[in-house]
Parts: sequence; C-alpha cells; structure tokens
Amino acid sequence: MDRDKILQAIRENKAKTTPLPKFFGSLAEKQDTGLINRFKDILQQVGGDCFEINGAEELNSFMEEHFPGATDFRKKETWKEFPPDCPKEKLAQLKTVVLGGQFGVAENGAVWLDETRFPNRLVPFIAEELVVCLNAKEIVCDMHEAYSKSGKNTTGFGVFISGPSKTADIEQNLVFGAHGAKKIVIVLY
Amino acid sequence: MNISQLQIGLFIPCYIDQFYPQVGIATLELLQKLGLDVHYPPEQTCCGQPMANSGSEKEAIPTYKNFIRNFSPFDYVVSPSGSCVYHVREYYNILEQTDEVKKVRKNTFELCEFIVDILKMDDLKIEYPHKVGIHQSCHGLRGLKLGTSSELVAERSSKVHRLLEKAKGIEIIGLDREDECCGFGGTFSVFQPDVSVGMGKDRLNDHLRNGAEIITATDMSCLMHLEGIARRKKQNIKAVHIAEILNSNRL
Amino acid sequence: MTGHAHKAGQFLKNSERAAWHDETLWIVRRKRDKMARAVPEWESLREQASQIKQHTLSELDNYLVQFDGQAQKNGAQVHWAGDAARFNEIVSGIIKKNNATKVVKSKSMLTEECGLNPFLEKQGIEVTDTDLGERIIQFRKEPPSHIVMPAIHLKKEEIGELFHEKLHTEEGNFDPTYLTAAARLHLRQKFLEAEVAITGVNFAVAETGAVVVCTNEGNADMGVHAAPVQIHCVGIEKMIPRMDDLGVFIRLLARSATGQPITTYTSHYMGPKPGGQMHIVIVDNGRSEHLGKENYRNALKCIRCGACMNTCPVYRRSGGHSYGSVIPGPIGSILAPHSHIKNYNDLPFASSLCGSCSDVCPVKIDIHDQLYRWRQDLSEKKRVSPGKRHTMKMAGKILAGSKMYDFSGKMARWGIKNLPRKLVYNRLNVWGKERELPEVPKESFKQWYKRTRQGKGGENGQG
Repeated sequence: MDRDKILQAIRENKAKTTPLPKFFGSLAEKQDTGLINRFKDILQQVGGDCFEINGAEELNSFMEEHFPGATDFRKKETWKEFPPDCPKEKLAQLKTVVLGGQFGVAENGAVWLDETRFPNRLVPFIAEELVVCLNAKEIVCDMHEAYSKSGKNTTGFGVFISGPSKTADIEQNLVFGAHGAKKIVIVLY
Repeated sequence: MNISQLQIGLFIPCYIDQFYPQVGIATLELLQKLGLDVHYPPEQTCCGQPMANSGSEKEAIPTYKNFIRNFSPFDYVVSPSGSCVYHVREYYNILEQTDEVKKVRKNTFELCEFIVDILKMDDLKIEYPHKVGIHQSCHGLRGLKLGTSSELVAERSSKVHRLLEKAKGIEIIGLDREDECCGFGGTFSVFQPDVSVGMGKDRLNDHLRNGAEIITATDMSCLMHLEGIARRKKQNIKAVHIAEILNSNRL
Repeated sequence: MTGHAHKAGQFLKNSERAAWHDETLWIVRRKRDKMARAVPEWESLREQASQIKQHTLSELDNYLVQFDGQAQKNGAQVHWAGDAARFNEIVSGIIKKNNATKVVKSKSMLTEECGLNPFLEKQGIEVTDTDLGERIIQFRKEPPSHIVMPAIHLKKEEIGELFHEKLHTEEGNFDPTYLTAAARLHLRQKFLEAEVAITGVNFAVAETGAVVVCTNEGNADMGVHAAPVQIHCVGIEKMIPRMDDLGVFIRLLARSATGQPITTYTSHYMGPKPGGQMHIVIVDNGRSEHLGKENYRNALKCIRCGACMNTCPVYRRSGGHSYGSVIPGPIGSILAPHSHIKNYNDLPFASSLCGSCSDVCPVKIDIHDQLYRWRQDLSEKKRVSPGKRHTMKMAGKILAGSKMYDFSGKMARWGIKNLPRKLVYNRLNVWGKERELPEVPKESFKQWYKRTRQGKGGENGQG
C-alpha cells in the first residue's frame, strides 16, 4: 500500500527531531490603538472600499440607501430563497451581496467569513460585488490573533477575503474582478 | 591590544598577484602605515575558490593545505578579497579541523572588516575628491556581512561605506540597484558568458547613470569583469580597488 | 555551451525584451522589499517559519498520519500516491468513477510535475486551467515560466492576439481590463459546467485536517464550490502542525511572492459541501527519498513563493524556460537534479552564487549553499563535462604549489602581452567576446615583493 511505503520511507529518512518553536508572540499588546485606521488604509491599498457608520442602529438605513436591491444574506429569508442545493445558474445571477463579517485583520484589510454566513459556499465568490458588514471592535491586529480566533472554526469552510478579486497576469497590469467579486465594500459599524 | 606586536600574514589572491599587483602593494603599504608588522609568505598561491566553485572541491584540497601551511604562523591573515576570505572561513570546513586549520579559518579577514572590526578604525584620514560608486561584492556583502544586504529587514550598515564616507571631497553616489551581483561569479563568467556580460553591463550602466567616475569594491574579480566590459565599450569609468583608495594618501 | 547557458544566450539576443523581463521581475522584488520592511519582526518570522518547517519534516510521518485521520473525520477521502504515475491514476480514477469529462484546475506545480494534464487529456477528459496566467500558457501549449506568474514572459500584445484567436476578442485590442473581462466570462462558463475541480495546496494542517489554498483571482474557490467533486493535490512536504502556525506562513507568503500583505482569498477547506465529495491526494514522488539527503533536506521547506526567482539576476535575464525544469530559478536548480540528474546537471551552475536567493527565502532555505554542494556532487558523480573535469585537475595541481603557479602565471601574462591581439582574442577566448582581458603589469606582486623587500628581512618574507 502506498501509504505504508511512504510512511516507512519517511521514518527511515527523516532527520533527528528538532523542537517546534513556541507560538510567535503577537505585536497585539504593542499595537492596540489605530487598528481601525490601519485596517481602512490597507483595505484601500488592496482595492477595497470602506464606509464607517455610527453603530448597528444606523446599519439598516445605510444599507437601504447605498445598496438597495442587494441580496442580503444576513436575513434568514434570503437563505430560504437560496438554499444549499440552489442551482449554480441561479447563484450566477447574484449581483450585489451583503454578508455579515465575523472579524477583520488590520495588517492586511482582510475579513473572515465562514459557512455560518452564507447558505452556499459559492456566494462570496460568484457575486459581482460584496458588501461586508463588520463590527469595528472586531478588528484584530495581525494573522496570529486572527488564527487564535478562527482556528477553532468547526465549519467545513472558511475564508479570509482581502479586497476584490484581482490578477496581474497580463503584463503585470492590475485588474480587478478576475473571477471573484469585482468590488468589495466593508461597512464598519 | 598592542597592534605592532601582532604578526600579520598578507594573502594576495592569485589574480591580484598576476594582474593587479598595485592592489597588493596598496594593501601592504596601508597595513604598514597603520602600524602593523606585515609578512608575505612567498610560497602562497591561491585560496582554491575557482576550483571549488566549479565543483572540484576535492582537487582543491592540496591548495587549501598550502594556504593553511603558509598562514598558520600568523595572528591574523588579511587579504584584499572578500570572496577568498569567505571561501576560507566557510568552505575550508572539508579539511580535517585541526587546531591549525581552525585558527587560520577564524583569523582570516578581508581588509575592510579587519580595519573596522579588529583595528576599530573607520577614519583613515584620506582625501579622495571623486564621485565614487561602491559595488558591494556579493561574497563580502552577504557572505562576510560586510554590510546589510538590501534583502534583509535590519538596521542598515556597511563597513566599506564607513571607511569611505569620511574621505575628504568624496561623493558616494547612490545606485538604482544597491547590491545586485556584477555577474563575474568565477568560472560562471566563461561558462555562462551571455548572462555574465549582461549582468556586468547593467551594473556598469547603473553606476554611469548615477554619475560615478570611479567604481570601487572589495573584490578585484568583480572589478576585473566590470573594467573589462567598460574598456571594450570605451566607457568613461575607472575601476579602483578599495585598498588603493584607502591607501591613496594620508592627510 | 550547455542547456541553460545556450538558452539564456538565445533569450538575451532580444536585448530590449530581455531588459523588460529583467525590470518587470525586479519590480516585484522591490514590492517584496517594501512589504517586508513594513513588518519590523520580519527576520524573526522567517526564523520561526524555518524552524516550524524543520520540525515538521523531522516528524513528518506523525503529522501525515494525524492529518489523514482528521481529514477523514471531516468527511474527506484521503488517497496516497507513491509516485507521479500512481497520482495520475488516482486522480483519473476519481474523475472516471464520477463519469466526469469536464475538469477545472487551479494552480498546482505538483500537477505540472506529475504531467497530469496530458495524462487526463489522453483519456478524453477536458482540463481547463483556470488561473488566468495558466490559461494563457495552456492556450499556447507551453509550460509556465514562473511558478507564481506563469505568463510573466509574455507581453499584452501577444495575449491580445492569443485571445482574439481563442476567445474571439476584438483584433488589436490589448487592454488588460478588456482581456481579463473576456477571460472572466469564458472561464465562468467552465466553472459552471465543471464536474470536478482540482486544486493544489499551499498548506495542509495536521491538527485539523484543513487544506489551505491562497489565490488572488478566486479561481480555486469558484471551481471547488461549483463542482460536485473537489480534489486537492498535496506534496508530503506541505504539512504544517497547527492552525496557529498558519499565522506565520500566511504573513510571509504573499509578501514574499508578489509584495501584497495577503492574497485576496485564503481559503480553508475542512470538509465537503453538502452532497459533495472532497478528495485529498497525498503525493510522495521522490520527496521521502529527498528527505534522507542531509545536505539538501532543507529544500523541502519550500512554500513555493517564487521570491528567489524574482531576485535572481540570472533568472531575470534568462527567463524560466531556459531552465527546462518544472520549477525554474534558484529553488528549481536545487530540486531538479534529484529527479533527473542527467537532464538538469547544468542548473546548479546557472548561478553566480551571489546569495540573494537565500536572503529573500521566507523559510531560510540555504539555496546558495545547496547550489555549491550540488556542484561538488555532480563533479564527483562525473556529471560535469570531461573537458571541465580535466581543466580543474590541472588547475588543482598548478595551484597547489608556488613553483608551478608562478611559472603558469608568468606564461599567461607573457601570452596576453606579447601574442598578437587576433590570436589572444580568438573564438575560443570566451572572456574576450565582450570584455577586454586585464592589462598586463610589468611584474607580478610576488616579483615586486622579491625585488623590493626580500633580503631586508627574514625567511618568512618579513618586509
């Protein structure tokens, strides 16, 4: 059996054990101020847009004003409209989609979304435009902190999304919207 | 430390011996000016790097042994060549590590690092009113850590810059590519001639574009390659080894 | 001239294009520098990553077993392939079992290594590479020239012409936004029709059985979430112990590769979608053997970022295709000879040993040392040309003792000085093709020293 042969070969060839270094200390203690501003700056640099509003109460009116007609996956009704076994062709019609982000990462403008946020895993990728609502208090400093939050995730899929889909494969010219969303907007409340 | 009591062995790389004796002379004179007792073992030949870099490490062992034999009597071995010194310190590890071998490996220094780190000097009171481009030879830079290579995220420093920046009248020009390789690479220069020359031309053009009149380096091999191209193309730039600049005059 | 040297010469013949290629990649290196310098703890991160990888390789069997168990608990099916042939069989087996003929594939150097595409195509299976750069070279029927930017050697005019032919875009329209939009439409169709999606794996986490894939385009996710069957191909060396370790690697990867703080998408596949299948194929193909080679073991730490290629002055001036190996550049030059020593025996010599690669490597692989080490091993295994070997033997004898050395030096200098220029700069004089030889001095240093200093001091040349 290949498995046994491979494992046997490894046992015979591997070096003497060296220790696993202890967890990399996060700079979080030193950098707890300015996280929101840092997040916004980097998000902009990677091609994303950001709006800051005053609290969750204003969120719904803001969404109605700026993204009318968006498919809002924060609402349970939307999940009924797009169930897990929804045909791909229907999902392919999605234009602007609203998702609830779980937390953000200041060092790279990323937001974490797992399967509790959408009924079908294609949703964050197939839509033309993503709008992610994020509680500004849920922005962590760096990926070390991020993984201590997301690492215990038990859903079958989770993703960090930083900015819109992009490619520079044509002579290093940056183009947004290679396959995933052409635009991403983070609404911080 | 009473430096006049140190026994210094001078190692002159083979190509400097044969083609650029003025670099060896400058090195010798400079070290003597600094108060050192310098000896030149006459049976020295080569550090063995050209063979080893071509894959013939084993064939180079007699040459390595000749080096050790010639230089083991000295407190320090000083050489105007970053790459030779790097080779001795790093790759003489294939010799049996006798006390002699260990001593020589530990105490072999390139000229600039010897002045800065051992003699603890960086102002040689020189006058050099020229526009100088510093070519940071790779083995010295990344191998001996004569400076901080541009790849690393660390406090930036450079022993060669330190020694030159205090020279009266000097203008050290900035380069577009701080520390790209010149393309000599030993036998690489003849086994990969097109890439080697391409790299050399680019390096020269970087210096010329930024106004250098003189290119200096810790390695004559790099300069031999760059100068070779410059002379063929009749470009108006001179290659001068760092030893010659540092020895140029004493204010 | 050997393979790489010859191809590099060809590449450099178009000097304008070669300069463009060199500058384009240098810009990516500078982007990396800018990003790295914004992380004050960058060098500590590298050290951490290096140690994590080193530890993992020293306990690789245990981590693989842990990963296997966890992945299966998550509902994934785990397969093991000893070599490329087995790998291809397993993948095509899964595809055939599901009666599939349409496959989409995101970037995987492992599948390049194993020759998966041609193997599947021979069986009537349509494979569409969905990374834009890979789709371009797939259309052109050529291999990638860079592991992260596969079409970096192409200009937009060439891509415009290609898309006009293959996708019926407007003739003469080379606008990258226009062309990318056309590719988006074309590939979206492929995503929606695909029955199987194949991906590579950036990191496989033993603790949780998670497979992590990083893309900027989102093509891995489009494929994986649309197709009912997903297959992830992972080399054994891609294991890392814990989810927390991902923090270190994700911070290093995109910054090193393209100068971004992170790729747009960092996807964690932990189990199949409802009603879907998730397969993971673990591949050896020479890696366990490589693990046993003490001098070269470190190369298995590689996270395939490509930073070494971007910084390599030789790669930038010769292009990825000059290497002829699946993975080009510095890391390719130390990996390839393991798989086929005869085909790639010139690659460790395609380097000036400047050491820049080792300095940018996020996991601190001692690339320049391994290049040097390969040269010794290739010489010993008689994998260098007999001419070269003979020359080195002679050099060894001459440089071992001063009498022979002094004499040879004298002869060389006499020759250069006195022989007619035409003779000296003949066709065999490779140095002299574009460089002047050094001017010959009146006497060597040794001669000068003997003349001026000897006799004034003791035997050991005291002056």
